[in-house]
Amino acid sequence: MSQGNKALKQTVKQAFLNGVAYPIDKDETILSFSRRLNDASIIPTLCDDTRLEPYGSCRVCNVDVALTADGPKKVMASCHTPISEGMHIYTHSPRIEKLRRNIIELVLSDLPEQTLVNSQNHPRTEFEQVVADTGVGQVRFNQGRKSVASVPFTTNKKGESKLCDESHPYMRMDLSLCIDCNRCVRACDEIQGEQVLSVAGRGFDARIIKGQDVSFNDSDCVSCGACAQTCPTGAISDVFRQQLAKAESKSDHIDKVRTICSYCGVGCNLEVSVQNNKILSIEAPKGAAVNSGHTCLKGRYAWRFYDHDDRLDSPLVKIDGKLTKASWEHAFDYIAKRLTDIKTNHGSDAIAGISSARCTNEENYLLQKMMRVVIGTNNIDCCARVCHSPTAYGMQHSFGTGAATNSIDDLKQTEFILLIGANPTAAHPVTGAKIKQKVMKGTPLIVLDPVKTELARFANWHIQLRPGTNVAVLNMMAYFIIESGLVSKDFVNTRTEEYQSYHQAIMALDINKLATIAGVDKTLVKQAAIAYAKADKAMSFHGLGVTEHSQGSRAIMCIADLVMLTGNIGRKGVGMNPLRGQNNVQGAADMGCQPHQGAGYFPVDDLEHIKYYQQHYQVNKDSIVNLSQWPDKVGYKIPEMFNAALAGDLKALWILGEDVVQTDPNQQHVVASLENLDLLIVQEIFLSETAKMADVVLPGTSFLEKSGTFTNGERRVQKVNAAVPPRKGCKTDGEIIVEMMNNLGYKQASYDANSMLEEISQVVPFFAGITWQNLGLDGLQWPVTKEGVETKTLHVDSFKRGLGKFHFFEFEESQEMLKHSEQFPFILTTSRNLEHYNAGTMTRRTSNEAIVSEDVLLVSKGDAADKGITDRSKVKLFSARGEITLTAQISDKVKQGILFTTFHFPELMINRVTGDVTDKHTKCPEYKVVAVDIKKA
Amino acid sequence: MSKNLSQLARRQGIDNTLFQQLVVTDAGDKHSNLKQKRKTLAKEFLMGEAVIHGAASFYDFLDDGTSHNNKQHNANKKAYVCNGSSCLCADTQAVVKDKLVNQFDSDNVGHVTCLGRCAENSAFQIAEHNFSGSDIDNLSNIVEEISTISNEHYQIRCTLNEPILTAEILDVTEYYQLFDQLSKQCITRDEQEKLLDKLVGSGLRGRGGAGFPTGIKWLSCLNEKHDEKYIVCNADEGDAGAFSDRYLLEQRPHAVLFGMLMAGLLTDAKTGVLYIRAEYPEAIKQTEQAINEFKQLVLNKKVTVDFNFKIIKGAGAYICGEETALLRSIEGQRPVVSVRPPFPTQSGLFGCPTVVNNVETFGSIHFIFSNLAQKENSTVEKYKNLGNGKSTGSKLLSLDGAFNAPGIIEVAMGTPLTQVIELAGGFAKNIKALHIGGPLGGVVPLSEIDKLTIDFESFAENGFLLGHASIIGIPQSMKMIEYIAHLFEFTALESCGKCYPCQIGSVRGQEMFEQAISGEQTINRELLNDLLDTMQLGSLCALGGGVPLPIQNILQYFKDELTPYFTNTEFVKGAHS
Repeated sequence: MSQGNKALKQTVKQAFLNGVAYPIDKDETILSFSRRLNDASIIPTLCDDTRLEPYGSCRVCNVDVALTADGPKKVMASCHTPISEGMHIYTHSPRIEKLRRNIIELVLSDLPEQTLVNSQNHPRTEFEQVVADTGVGQVRFNQGRKSVASVPFTTNKKGESKLCDESHPYMRMDLSLCIDCNRCVRACDEIQGEQVLSVAGRGFDARIIKGQDVSFNDSDCVSCGACAQTCPTGAISDVFRQQLAKAESKSDHIDKVRTICSYCGVGCNLEVSVQNNKILSIEAPKGAAVNSGHTCLKGRYAWRFYDHDDRLDSPLVKIDGKLTKASWEHAFDYIAKRLTDIKTNHGSDAIAGISSARCTNEENYLLQKMMRVVIGTNNIDCCARVCHSPTAYGMQHSFGTGAATNSIDDLKQTEFILLIGANPTAAHPVTGAKIKQKVMKGTPLIVLDPVKTELARFANWHIQLRPGTNVAVLNMMAYFIIESGLVSKDFVNTRTEEYQSYHQAIMALDINKLATIAGVDKTLVKQAAIAYAKADKAMSFHGLGVTEHSQGSRAIMCIADLVMLTGNIGRKGVGMNPLRGQNNVQGAADMGCQPHQGAGYFPVDDLEHIKYYQQHYQVNKDSIVNLSQWPDKVGYKIPEMFNAALAGDLKALWILGEDVVQTDPNQQHVVASLENLDLLIVQEIFLSETAKMADVVLPGTSFLEKSGTFTNGERRVQKVNAAVPPRKGCKTDGEIIVEMMNNLGYKQASYDANSMLEEISQVVPFFAGITWQNLGLDGLQWPVTKEGVETKTLHVDSFKRGLGKFHFFEFEESQEMLKHSEQFPFILTTSRNLEHYNAGTMTRRTSNEAIVSEDVLLVSKGDAADKGITDRSKVKLFSARGEITLTAQISDKVKQGILFTTFHFPELMINRVTGDVTDKHTKCPEYKVVAVDIKKA
Repeated sequence: MSKNLSQLARRQGIDNTLFQQLVVTDAGDKHSNLKQKRKTLAKEFLMGEAVIHGAASFYDFLDDGTSHNNKQHNANKKAYVCNGSSCLCADTQAVVKDKLVNQFDSDNVGHVTCLGRCAENSAFQIAEHNFSGSDIDNLSNIVEEISTISNEHYQIRCTLNEPILTAEILDVTEYYQLFDQLSKQCITRDEQEKLLDKLVGSGLRGRGGAGFPTGIKWLSCLNEKHDEKYIVCNADEGDAGAFSDRYLLEQRPHAVLFGMLMAGLLTDAKTGVLYIRAEYPEAIKQTEQAINEFKQLVLNKKVTVDFNFKIIKGAGAYICGEETALLRSIEGQRPVVSVRPPFPTQSGLFGCPTVVNNVETFGSIHFIFSNLAQKENSTVEKYKNLGNGKSTGSKLLSLDGAFNAPGIIEVAMGTPLTQVIELAGGFAKNIKALHIGGPLGGVVPLSEIDKLTIDFESFAENGFLLGHASIIGIPQSMKMIEYIAHLFEFTALESCGKCYPCQIGSVRGQEMFEQAISGEQTINRELLNDLLDTMQLGSLCALGGGVPLPIQNILQYFKDELTPYFTNTEFVKGAHS
């Protein structure tokens, strides 16, 4: 008998739930067993949250357990008692029901009397529901002590002293409702990993605290809202949940719409509560594959921009140098006429488009289609240019696919994490929290970053290199791995090519010299490299700290080299995973918003693929752009668009939801370029700095008002569902493009997510099996086969390009440093913070502004002393391009000679300082290395 | 418990625990500095500030961050008066407190639950020095010269032919030779298991009160594959009335260290941690000295072993005697009780496999292993032959000031209780009951005494609990209604606050009895029964689950005394069948 048969023959282990036998699963508790076989509320609990470790405090989940059907019964807490073979579980024996009532009675004896009344009439909270379900009718104890008596008051913004903590823009705490289940404390620790909450005192007087017993506002709370979401009584809540609870208590109808967050590339699912077309609150759906009930303060709280007074509500057309309200009809006619003129006089390539990684796949697809099929140019790009274009380029060259090789869920299985140039706890908070959870529990972590980020504090090896020297340090790591004989020979031999020349080049390096260049301790690098190579399963993550450099694409290929050297690809729990910065930056590139590749990544200048596209777009001799006019050369990348505009070659630019004036480097250059255009069309929701320069502004909509799909950083295509209709006077961006196409004479069917996706699935091969229906709640990770099978791990048996290819690159100093470092001896590097998002267009129109209200410059203690700078004082920061004034903060996060700031307050004009050096291969700007100097302001 | 915090604590290791940092940082610190210091600690340990504040505020002797003008505050007082059950029964503390308040002012006098001076009572502490008996009369000298030695005296007796726990250790070097000899024979896994078989064969069961077979516990730790394991000695003898662990640590510390060494040898652990309560400064001092002597032996190559001892000083929290709370305390977490499984042998200190045993359990090890060679009359056999077969070996009893000759007595398991009382010279005063086994042990009326023998089984069968075998005499003058209120109050004060039955139930129980005493409200027997059942069946640990036992004993045996406090005739009607 074979092993397999033997296993089958083994009797299935089973236990009895209220007399009925069921098979038991490994690692199940009595509670999870009972819930699996019955409904989730079979056993009431107060302290349990399936996302948290069993805690065993409320004892309401007690059940009777016997080892034989008629055997003696023992009371056991079901949440933390493992189920075992032959157990008889009785969930509702009389003594258990009585015990539950008596426990609930005790809890009620310490709560406001109103709670019992509510529970009996109209249970509003999870707790009140349990009270109602257990049938407690009265509290028999004589009036006694209430634990709330020991809670100190908190001063709110108005200076009033109150029991309820109302100090914070979002968070609320009212301990008179608290039942000490500690779910909030555990969520803060086990989900977010912040430990802002704990408990003070003991016994009856134990109470929830923030920090060292300070207010929410004075604490280190990151406003993720995990505590508010898990609280069963509403003792910890937030302004929006309170608003929702109020509406619910009036039992009016409230819609719940599931959609996807439009901030970073994590792709958190959101549940939007809507009443009368107004959003009341946003929460994170518990069962979501991506974020299982968690999200950050941007996703949960920073959504009020959607109905902000600043929203555009009408198309604007520039008349006599002034943007003036116009009808949609007029705007489209005007644009159509101007575009046609420009096309006739200057050719299709005098027109370009910049698409938006914030918009849906369908909208991105449409804009590139309009450019290629209606205008007839490959001049289409998106903001991936300024962030992860090197990732796409580098990974395509090494592996064949420019996307994350694995899934975030693989973190559960990984045994080692290598984090390069990324600060996920701020920029990708939910993924950051997951990494932090792993690392706190002991998974080793290497952080390669010039800044001591939150995760660097927890890292086993923080290699604090000089900005711009990634290639040097990655090569050092490769050297030590090879030198220590830790190369995964089998993998290298069978799955890769060009190893020999790579090996020779690496071993010829002068390690001491590289260590000096990067300003790192080579012993530290060696230890880290060896630990990484020895791990069975190591996952790497990287961010813009790798890509936004003159050697960005090369550094990407260096990471790919390390991944292949150690065989960390093609399995679960490993891989190379870019942390995509925007909700749909993966999708924008997938959809073809790139000048060199069309939808699905086929080259635009290759005859065979030109035919493919012509066929799929049904181009014939009568088409607007007919077969002979079909664009067959690579178009402009974004920085090239600006140069071409300045040179007079580019006459018209269509920008979808991107504020290039504020966010692209070397602002003066960008402004001059846009000024030189004949026609600038901007689709926007606010009158951005770029929109102010436009000839036509078309009011689009936010993600909350549109449907479609976003693709997150792990290739997961997820459904975006409109929560509310478009704001009055606005159209969804997809509709705008469709109407424009029709105005230009192309028949494009009206926009709806379902049929657009159908069209895309015919053009983009890895979308083949994706339909609006089969995306379901959690979406699908591409490639999706025709049969609808998704792909969690790429390059399993072979690489997309066949063999993985090793690339060697020498470290090269950036031109920025070579040209300017003598005159400007400091290096400025920039990044996102947690509270704001890029130019702050959205987040700064929310209460996040009250949490963080300026960009500050981090200066090391030594530098501050040298320059006579004091903490929180104003400093002047200047480079070869310009000068700005901002607040300095003395910090141990940066080494001497390095300065750091965020870029969310464009009025500061940080991009006045940044330069125009770009990545050699992709023209991605080098935001991360700027030669600057500072002085006291 | 938090896995994150356990693992973050593990990064720092046993030599840099947050908890000991708190104990050190706090000593006499000014409030203004405290916040900044704790902020720095949070950064160093990579934990949230709330974690530090939350942990510190749990303990009686650590600053809870509230204003120092707050009279509730119990940290950094000049003097502490013992309010344990034995001192309460002895009715000595009002006088002691008056004298201390006279000397130091009431704001400077704190309270402490049991200094283990139960043989003499009148117990108090000043500047980490404990006093009792007639010492209070010498207060002015003590204040002048803190090193003034306490006049404490209690008797130590043994009824065995061959003392086990009370045996004197005359030559420390020779004492450890047994370890050297055994460790040479114990290289392989098989040999470890053989010795563990002997331990199992001795029948030794945990002396902390739960009576779990020690050999089985050690074996399950040995079975865990982990490169880091710990042996932890639970020396948080918080049971009011108990002082046998204090005796062992002060007078037989090497016996305890030896037991821990053996546990390390048989489970592959290299670190031994003794968690000793702050209320026992002398025990800490003596154990420290013994560890230094042991280290010297290792340095001088008299003993060959790679094993390190570490003392963790408690900070005043009864619940730390519960093993999971104790482990969390060492880790710097709030010492609240953790769920089981996982058991400490699977995931204990810093998430590593850990053996936690009581002081007395470790103290019994040397004897058991001292002569394995003889087939018929090995020490294992001798140990096993003491007792009733299920409870084997000897047991230390702590007898309080209610006896004519109070102190420590070592008896064989199975010794009749009457014989113990006789040995202690009978009662010094009019006694109506004995409270045996700490606050969670049973209250034995005089009428039941002759039914009991000193072993786990006899006590359980008669509806009592041997526990840690401390014996307090409850005098006739003590009103049982007040004693119950005292038990509820103790539970309310010491409850970790995690589970509702204990956290809220103890307070409601205390209120019921206080209101009955004051005449505000008579007790509803049905409600009381529900409360006791809820605590007994529903509590997470033995504190909330255990306190109903003595209360039920009192309700059963002292009906007449209690009836007036109950509503109508419900008392009889609602009595437990």
